[in-house]
Amino acid sequence: MTATRFIGILRKYEKWFGIVALILISAGLYTGLVTSSADYFQGEVVRIMYVHVPFAQTAMLAYSTLFFCSIWYLWKRDAIVDNACHAAAGLALFFTAGGLITGAIWGKPTWNAWWVWDPRLTSFAIMFLTLVGYLMLRTFLDDVEKRATFAAILAIIGFIDLPIIHFSVEWWRSLHQPLSVSTRGVSIAPDMLVPFALMSFGVGILFTYMLMVRTQLLYLEHLLEAKQGRFLSEAEL
Amino acid sequence: MKRLYIRWTVLVLIFGSITCLGILRYDREVKTVSPAKVSSEGAKGELRLLGMIEAGSFVRGVEGKPTRFMLSGEGAKVAVVFSGKDEDESLRELKTIVALGKWETERKQFDASELALDPNYGFVTSAYVFSLIPLAFFLFYMERRVSLLYVMIKEEKVYQSETQA
Repeated sequence: MTATRFIGILRKYEKWFGIVALILISAGLYTGLVTSSADYFQGEVVRIMYVHVPFAQTAMLAYSTLFFCSIWYLWKRDAIVDNACHAAAGLALFFTAGGLITGAIWGKPTWNAWWVWDPRLTSFAIMFLTLVGYLMLRTFLDDVEKRATFAAILAIIGFIDLPIIHFSVEWWRSLHQPLSVSTRGVSIAPDMLVPFALMSFGVGILFTYMLMVRTQLLYLEHLLEAKQGRFLSEAEL
Repeated sequence: MKRLYIRWTVLVLIFGSITCLGILRYDREVKTVSPAKVSSEGAKGELRLLGMIEAGSFVRGVEGKPTRFMLSGEGAKVAVVFSGKDEDESLRELKTIVALGKWETERKQFDASELALDPNYGFVTSAYVFSLIPLAFFLFYMERRVSLLYVMIKEEKVYQSETQA
């Protein structure tokens, strides 16, 4: 598939993802902030869950996307796939930062600490630093082929952290609460599960929409750079 | 570009209106008052009094008698009489709570009919503000940049000139 055809497909379908995400997030915010009940122990603060958990889940989804796109790039060596990797990394960093900030805000009233060196929090912070390193690496290298290859290798190595983040609450004694939805079942009240699911799917679909927009953005920037005489071999014209 | 700005203006207006309605509802139904304000200015009607149970003041109600304690906040103390039942015995000294009830000006005490946890709405609001507002800005920046790039490419005729070359 040519890059222009791929961009055309993104442009054609992106709005539907945006509309579905908007509907789900609006419904999630309404049910989460207005209709769902407060927690017995935490009180109203539990409502932070409806934004913190979707952000953290989407950060991991974004890194997984980066991982699979990196493998795809190393296999096909397609410039548009490298654009998708770059776009996924930027979005993963954004959602990871959001997850860390909202987690710190939730931690203060529940644990009486903004930050603790808990396995879940530490492994999540490592993902943040990996993504910062990934984006820095992309700015250090001028050679387009080398930049894309080294960045893809770094992203694949960094993926080791994802299972650690997911299972950290099972493997170690952790202050962070265990998984609420797992193969053992769902340990969350139904009126909390509805906004939780709406927000999780909504933010996940919003990420897909943002990925489509950002991939176009990076491709178009490269296209203009190519027009100016730089990276001419890279852009598919 | 025009469609982008119209779409985002509509979104900002919708979410701005919902936020205003939320703030109005908060002021009307959820906002708490401090013991300092109640003791100095007095108050009428149903109130939500936020404060900490003073050390040494807590007397648990037994045999039909009400629970009594002093609630402190912002440098003032107010006597609270709670006639309901503390089913789980969750009340203790130095705990921050919200007492729902009425201020009795003559007896200088607060008659609480219900007790609740400190809602910590500041933390909830901060979490949503620090996540959703940057998300909206980031999204707007990307959409605007993509629209601008399409316009620039169209004006520059990138495809045409390069393919001709």
